[in-house]
Amino acid sequence: MSILSDLLFETRIAASSLADYVTGAGLRLGVTGLSRAGKTVFITALVQNLLRASTAAMDGERVLPVFRVHAEGRLMRAKLQPQPDDHVPRFAYEDHLAALTGDERHWPESTRRISELRLTLEFERRKGLRQGPSELTIDIVDYPGEWLLDLPLLTKGYAQWSRETLEASAAAARAPFAADWRGATLAVAADAPESEAEAKRLADLFTTYLRSARAETYALSTLPPGRFLMPGELEGSPALTFAPLHVEEGAAFAPGSLAAMMERRYEAYKAHVVKPFFRDHFARLDRQIVLVDALSALNSGPAAVRDLETALSEILVAFRAGRSGFLSTIFRPKIDRILFAATKADHLHHTSHDRLENILRLLTARAIARAEDVGAHVDVVAIAAVRATREAKVKQGRMLGEKSELDAIVGVPLPGERIDGETFDGKGEVAIFPGELPADPKAVFRGDGLGVPEGAADYRFVRFRPPVPRLAKDGEPLPLPSIRLDRALEFLLGDRLQ
Amino acid sequence: MSGDERQRPRAFRLDDDRIVLADGETPAHDDLRQDRLKKGGVIVETTPDAFAPQDEPAEPRDAEEATEIAQARGIRARALLSWGGLLWSALGGLVSMALGLWATRIVEDLFARSATLGWIGVALAAAVVISLLALGLREMRAIFRQRHIATLHAALARARDADDRDAARAGANELLSLYASRPDTARARALVKDLTREIVDGRDLIDIAERNLMAPLDADANREIASAAKRVSMVTAISPRALVDVLFVGAQAIRLLRRIAEIYGGRPGFLGFVRLAHSVGAHLAITGGMAIGDSLVQQVVGHGVAARLSAKLGEGVLNGMLTTRIGLSAMAVCRPMPFAALKQPGVKDVAPFLFGDSKERRDIS
Repeated sequence: MSILSDLLFETRIAASSLADYVTGAGLRLGVTGLSRAGKTVFITALVQNLLRASTAAMDGERVLPVFRVHAEGRLMRAKLQPQPDDHVPRFAYEDHLAALTGDERHWPESTRRISELRLTLEFERRKGLRQGPSELTIDIVDYPGEWLLDLPLLTKGYAQWSRETLEASAAAARAPFAADWRGATLAVAADAPESEAEAKRLADLFTTYLRSARAETYALSTLPPGRFLMPGELEGSPALTFAPLHVEEGAAFAPGSLAAMMERRYEAYKAHVVKPFFRDHFARLDRQIVLVDALSALNSGPAAVRDLETALSEILVAFRAGRSGFLSTIFRPKIDRILFAATKADHLHHTSHDRLENILRLLTARAIARAEDVGAHVDVVAIAAVRATREAKVKQGRMLGEKSELDAIVGVPLPGERIDGETFDGKGEVAIFPGELPADPKAVFRGDGLGVPEGAADYRFVRFRPPVPRLAKDGEPLPLPSIRLDRALEFLLGDRLQ
Repeated sequence: MSGDERQRPRAFRLDDDRIVLADGETPAHDDLRQDRLKKGGVIVETTPDAFAPQDEPAEPRDAEEATEIAQARGIRARALLSWGGLLWSALGGLVSMALGLWATRIVEDLFARSATLGWIGVALAAAVVISLLALGLREMRAIFRQRHIATLHAALARARDADDRDAARAGANELLSLYASRPDTARARALVKDLTREIVDGRDLIDIAERNLMAPLDADANREIASAAKRVSMVTAISPRALVDVLFVGAQAIRLLRRIAEIYGGRPGFLGFVRLAHSVGAHLAITGGMAIGDSLVQQVVGHGVAARLSAKLGEGVLNGMLTTRIGLSAMAVCRPMPFAALKQPGVKDVAPFLFGDSKERRDIS
């Protein structure tokens, strides 16, 4: 039965990619990232930069200098187009841009549902047989990062998942806020008769535990199932009313028992939620950018960093990387370029970017090795899709002795952010020295700290408000300032725009 | 993790009284700064944006790139399909047909007079055809050899950049076969050959090959350039007519190009020489701008000093410098490997006597 369903699953993927090939769909760019990694901001900035690049160039602005098709003057224009999938909402690009550049200048709300956008680039080919005017269509998908956590579940049974979840919750870092749910679960016998009320109670406790672990102070990442955090339209349905139990692995559950009911619902969750999501959006990608918010995890402490590493390597197993050939392009698209990007690089001085990249390289080392083994191109880069700060040097008198110069960043911190004993109101500009990342990237994995308070950490990255937009001559905002967005674009799209 | 050595995170509100703002262009007044600093104040100085797009140089980044572009325009050009090429091929075809017609007619006439004369004519015509074929063949071989050297140059440059051991070994072996017929390179060849079998990094292997194989050839080339420059400046200084100068400088330049090509292993015939001259011209044009800080100033200064002594002497120095530049460009273009371990010589290294070096100047004047 399982083989048959796997076969069916694969067949549907192959069929949909064949359909894509025949209808001439564009390049599918997967923007992957856990929640709060900055997917929505990245997509908004990418689209806005591409849409406005040629206008800005005519105004004499130098934007995206590393993105060759634009730098060489071959990019004529970019335009938004109706997307191919009619059942998926459109990515609300205009709303997100308005949020970023409007009077209030705030970051877009966190994503609650899946959405899609199609962008067409008109450019001139420089070489090859098809010289001259050409087009490249790019499909970009945005979705709640929480849902990504479900992908590893595809290969796990209920019992295995239960065991792993219980083990994880026993770790010192999670124990304080997991205690309620853990106590309740361990008290319940797996072979108790099934009861909707009991299932609901356990599911609620479990959800509370997941939510508190994700809270900003802790910034944990490995928290499947994702729909418990961001239920979408499934809230309250049986597929979302289950929880792990203390069960024997490999044993068959008696029909009518609580464990059997939970297992059935777990499998239903996989079949109705995870698989369609994977099939429709992840199995068909050509290029992939993995956005990682390493700074939040660093803020929280070593335990959060290790947790992020586990989450990333589990998720990235689900992707199909590899060198793409003609047949694989038609039937089984493979991701031949993967870019790992540490987002929010504007929160630290550019002299620290190398260290941030090294940390990211270490975080994703397993995924990188696997992708390179099968022949995909991999790169690691620190980016800021929207750059909210500028850089400055802070010079002090005798107070600090020898080292009286600090490399700082200047921006407007979000209201409520705290550093150095000060709480900000979100109005005035502040020069911030966020501390130094360790030269040895392994140092950030050592220790057990989680939710480390502000006063005890060696570094603290505060969040800033979006920058004040500069307007072009036509009154629309110029391309938002960014850090290395052009390098990311060149890596992801450059070879198709030669 | 000790927080002792590392700075703690800090924040400085810019609207604070104790903070002095300064940007790079208009620094706050120094007294004010000192004053505030003494009171425990802080200066926040805006630094230049590290991510601001920088103007890319329109010219090639370095000498190596210039050399490769120059090689691509001349030596490595495959210009068989251009209109110019077609024109010359067609013209050549017509001329050779006319010549063939003419030869046939002469032989026929000769046979009409006597069979012996006719046969002599046939033999001579055959000799002409055979020697033409041989010359053509040599010409082709020379062109291919030159192209091979230029390709090797690019391959070695790439291998060195990438520190690619396999590519470096392949390149070194080709270098060895290029100089296999030169007895004076025997020891260097033996050394490099041994190294290609040992475990040496790609970049090191290339550097060792350059230091051992190229250094004597570079010295030869330098000597050729120096003597050509000397001859040119001397003849220009004493020649009675401008026309003589021009002819002499041209002849010396041609001779110099051929000599340098020969030193580095090429044997340009006529067509090969045309291609080489193209490359050298391109190299001069590209590096002309790059060398503006270097030799143009030198030329003006050198000219000034010499011109004070005599206008004719000044012209001599200028022509000598021009010859040197041509020679250096030819050197860069003909060399089978890029300048990396050895420094690329400049005008001043090769022909110091043009710059008023008192000891050398006596040789000229």
